Amino acid sequence: MSDIGKIRIRVPSNAKAGDVVRVRCLVIHPMERVERDAQGKIVDRNYNYITRVTATYLGKPVAVFDLTQSVSENPAFSFALKATTPGPVKVTFVDTHGGKYEGTAELAFA
Amino acid sequence: MAEALTRRSALGRLGAGVAVAVGALRNPAPAGAQGSSPAFGLQESVQDGLKRVFGGRPIKDGAAMIKLDIPPIAENGAVVPVNVEVTAPMTPASYVKSIWIVADKNRIPMVVKATLTPESGQAFVGVNIRLGETTDVRAVVEQSDGTLLMAKREVKVTVGGCGG
Amino acid sequence: MSSLVPLRCAVLALLVAAAALAARDVGSAASPAWVSRAIPEARGEVKVGPDGKRTAARYKGWPTRDFSAFRTYAYDDARPEPAVQRASAPSGVVGDPTKGRALFLNRQKGPCTGCHLVPGADVWPAGSVGPDLSTFGDRNLPDALVYQQLWDPRVTYPSTVMPPWGAQGLFTPEEIVHLVAYLKTLHGPVPPDPDADRNPFTRRRPTGFGDNLDPTNNPAVVRAEEAQTLWKTPGPNGKSCADCHAGGPQQAMRGVATRYPRVVAEHGRVMSLEDFLSVHAEATTGRGLPSESDANIDVTVMIKMASNGLPVAIDTTSEAARAAIARGKTSFFRRVGERNHACADCHTPERGASKFLGGRFLGDVATGLTRHFPTWRTNQNEVWDMRKRMQWCMTPLGGNMLAADSVEYAELELFLTTFDVGKPMSVPGIRH
Repeated sequence: MSDIGKIRIRVPSNAKAGDVVRVRCLVIHPMERVERDAQGKIVDRNYNYITRVTATYLGKPVAVFDLTQSVSENPAFSFALKATTPGPVKVTFVDTHGGKYEGTAELAFA
Repeated sequence: MAEALTRRSALGRLGAGVAVAVGALRNPAPAGAQGSSPAFGLQESVQDGLKRVFGGRPIKDGAAMIKLDIPPIAENGAVVPVNVEVTAPMTPASYVKSIWIVADKNRIPMVVKATLTPESGQAFVGVNIRLGETTDVRAVVEQSDGTLLMAKREVKVTVGGCGG
Repeated sequence: MSSLVPLRCAVLALLVAAAALAARDVGSAASPAWVSRAIPEARGEVKVGPDGKRTAARYKGWPTRDFSAFRTYAYDDARPEPAVQRASAPSGVVGDPTKGRALFLNRQKGPCTGCHLVPGADVWPAGSVGPDLSTFGDRNLPDALVYQQLWDPRVTYPSTVMPPWGAQGLFTPEEIVHLVAYLKTLHGPVPPDPDADRNPFTRRRPTGFGDNLDPTNNPAVVRAEEAQTLWKTPGPNGKSCADCHAGGPQQAMRGVATRYPRVVAEHGRVMSLEDFLSVHAEATTGRGLPSESDANIDVTVMIKMASNGLPVAIDTTSEAARAAIARGKTSFFRRVGERNHACADCHTPERGASKFLGGRFLGDVATGLTRHFPTWRTNQNEVWDMRKRMQWCMTPLGGNMLAADSVEYAELELFLTTFDVGKPMSVPGIRH
């Protein structure tokens, strides 16, 4: 999947100071599931899945997700933040194969 | 499902509020790390998982405060959207510290932990999860003072069929 | 002045040839066979091993069982439907209701619960295409009649959608005896179901997967957006799509997808956008976009998105289009495969549409479904175009698939698209 690590973030464009706004993001990632062989035994290998999602606003964390393989492939996440001033919302994804994917969206005010 | 073109992000012309963030890949470490995958430690019964994470601490009924938004019937177990919203303050004095999403019958039942801060503004998280079969799905909420609350719903998972 | 005469003759000759092409039975068995431009796993090929064993080459993860013995959609497949068969129960077999119930629920067989509700908390999810059999035993029908019904129901109901289970060898005679024994045990009254969803006649409908055009919801949108890079990248002969189609894909391709599928005169057949790209891209840029390749599908979605909101506007009036639509309609009603099913059996309201087949709510083609294709399939984590959808249907039906870019599928797709005329496009979709 050559699109692994492609990120999309949706932030409102008309926030006001003091608003609680919701952010949604999606990352393209296989989130590999545990495989079992023909005998039902777990295949022991380093599965590639995202273990941590860190969302910051103006550099401060607003949500951290610790994931397992029970999270969907190409996962989407939603979280909230308290808008104070226009500024960057950054989301970082880290997977078990050393992949680190980052995306930033600007929270714009009305 | 469909919205008029003017309101939705069209190709090359993004609608208001949708930002395209391009992910940057740092060179991945080579695969083939020795030893068991982290997955193994997380495959457990839900009782063991709850005990491992919360010890024997009492978990109160949070149905009045926790809104667990989840489809009652999932068309498939691959993508089940879960949204959790907790009616509780988010101030430095008292805030929702973490929200766990738990799927009782999953091989890995402790599905995801979301950690929040007062800057989160609202105790709200959403994530798409996998479900192996029809199961109770729980949201376990921990407040900054250590109080634990829980709400749960049954999700029926539709299996198989000619549609694939 | 005299130099215009040969020119006029040449123009006239061209017009006559074009008219002849349009009037020709485009896509029929008489026209030249189409060489598939699909990726190998999408060509519907069957391989014969050194031991004579036949295996079907299909997509990764799909079953490989060969169904050559059964009728397909191919225009040159002249085999009739399997003959209606009468049969009576074998002697010396005592019906076992417990075995019968296990067979009724067995997912490797029917399962019968795919269409029929029976009692039991473990019956999840039963369908509503066929009647509720929970009190079938109360009808006190003779064993021989029930046996015949399961062997080949067409004896009693000539146009039934129920497969001829015994005649096609899907159940053995002994198994049918056990099924009959089980059905006889089902008596009323049936206590009220504590779970309204267990019963497909009272079950809640699926709620879908949200906004199909939101890139934070539908990965297919992300894939199509990323395909913009391909649009600008020169192919092996140094040309890119952008070189001929100026202004970016959204502007250059606006409205184009509303006219597909269409008769493409230069290729003498009906083509979807996917089919057209599989020949056009290579001819112009030197870069192939084989049918069912990721690149073909992503570029197709990208081009179709440029028409979102615009009404489907295919040609349904030219002689060639009308002939192709008629052939597509015939395919829609054609019974194929081991199960002897037609598209119409599931997807028209007189039969299965808007009912549950197991857990799946069946779509009604008359509502217009093609304008959401290609669609993201959450169950597969893939983008499926209409052809892959048609090919997959052959798996539960027990039939060999044709090549993704076959003329038969193209004309079937054209027929289905007639139900979308005038309705706004919204691609990519997102579905189970």
